[in-house]
Amino acid sequence: MAERGAATKQIAALIAEDLDEEALARKVCQACVEELDVDGAAISVLPANPSRRTLWATDATALALEDLQFTLNEGVCVEAATSGVPVLVSDLARTSEHSRWPVFAAEVAERTPAKALYALPLHWGALTIGVLDLYRLRAGEFTAVQWQDLLGVAEVAALLLLQLRTRPGSARRATEVPDGEARRGTGPGVAGVDGDGRGNPELHDDGHPDDTEGRDAALSDVLFGRPEIHQAVGMVLVQLGIGPEEALARMRAWAFFEQRMLIDVARDVVERRLVFTEEMR
Amino acid sequence: MHSEGHVPMVRPVTGDARERQISRAFVELADTLVDDYDMIDMLDRLVAHSVLLLGADAAAIMLVDADGELRTVAASSEDAELMELLQLQAGEGPCVECVRASAPVAVVDLSDTDRWPRFVAAVAARTEFRSVHALPLRLRGQAIGAMNLLHRAPGPLPENDLALGQALADVATIGILAERTVRRTEVVAEQLQTALNSRVIIEQAKGVIAQYGGLPMDQAFERLRGYSRRHNLRLADVARNVVNGRLNPRGVVTEAGARRR
Repeated sequence: MAERGAATKQIAALIAEDLDEEALARKVCQACVEELDVDGAAISVLPANPSRRTLWATDATALALEDLQFTLNEGVCVEAATSGVPVLVSDLARTSEHSRWPVFAAEVAERTPAKALYALPLHWGALTIGVLDLYRLRAGEFTAVQWQDLLGVAEVAALLLLQLRTRPGSARRATEVPDGEARRGTGPGVAGVDGDGRGNPELHDDGHPDDTEGRDAALSDVLFGRPEIHQAVGMVLVQLGIGPEEALARMRAWAFFEQRMLIDVARDVVERRLVFTEEMR
Repeated sequence: MHSEGHVPMVRPVTGDARERQISRAFVELADTLVDDYDMIDMLDRLVAHSVLLLGADAAAIMLVDADGELRTVAASSEDAELMELLQLQAGEGPCVECVRASAPVAVVDLSDTDRWPRFVAAVAARTEFRSVHALPLRLRGQAIGAMNLLHRAPGPLPENDLALGQALADVATIGILAERTVRRTEVVAEQLQTALNSRVIIEQAKGVIAQYGGLPMDQAFERLRGYSRRHNLRLADVARNVVNGRLNPRGVVTEAGARRR
């Protein structure tokens, strides 16, 4: 099996930490700079509404690149977000890149020292959660090993972001909040993927032992490996007239409220034993 | 992935009938590889052919993702899927071994092996499968995934069947990699990620259609596939539009011509 790259390993280990979106984005960006031979990195999330939010940028150049692209509404990052595939420009000076994004390429050359730009969509199914942007001060492509690692980073980062964005409640810890508060949907997560069940290994979504590897496996199982969960997300989004991310959030909130595993809630939905309604908040 | 009733197959389909079946399978698979074909659709067909041609009770294709984990991208039934999931969770088993070694792995009798104890125990507890053959999806000496053939009866696959199974696995590799021209290694990793993400989208779209049309999952899948074929669209694109609300599920659910395979 393919070996995990160094940066992917670093990011995968973050599942054990209780981070908010900004802290997570900072660590992902830092890992890219440390391990992937890039000079700067930034992550912006793309909510359903038109505005984007830059969670983190490692330096002024990375931030300027984000601002430029979203202001001009063109560039590698915008294209990665729209197309859903990675966009790599290993040499911005090439004329083809200027014809692709005439204004953007000129502005980057004038305002920043960046010579190469790379943008990877952070996606889950049909949903693009955000974009990971990287730049280099000199032209050049990634090696095969770096590229594999970078794809791993994007995939795991997307999962972690999705997990944070759909977790039942805020970032407060289980021990700090009485059970009842969770009913308003503001309590903390409890199942394994939330990383909050530390004292309660039996609450983990997949019964994995409470170690880093277990969390890791539980995370990908819950969000990628189980077709029932994806099928249930599709059903719930029709039941409530919402998007996939919110449907997942509702399912997780319900699992938390009922103290059940997400996969069991998903199976109930697929088997039509459970129908989500507006009242179930 | 999509559940279909198990039709018990008699293992030896022999003589001319079998030869016709084999050539039909390869002709159909070759057809799907032309122009702007759909990778998931191709893999689903390939898995169905494998079940039929090799007398398997279930078959599945797993790919190594960017994170180094094995994930199911196509399966002939929920049964096989369950098993793949168990295997995935256990982090051990014939498929994992097959990919690691990039070589076929056979367990001719699951009740008579002391390898992969957690995996074997899980299979015994939750499924009726008694033998497993895992064939590598080979690319330049490495495995990018594996095809699993599952039988309810113990026993080895005949050598001819193994060779045919490997040929089908090789077609799967070609299908995955040829969606875009692969010149560089980095593209391979991207292709695998795309395939796995398409699977997520298709499962979500199945849910949308199942809920909207009051249909079972397997029929929801057939409607999606029927719609994409009639409109000459890629299954993954239709699924994406259904999930994003850009395509009204009504058209997919009600359109005439929707029928089961």
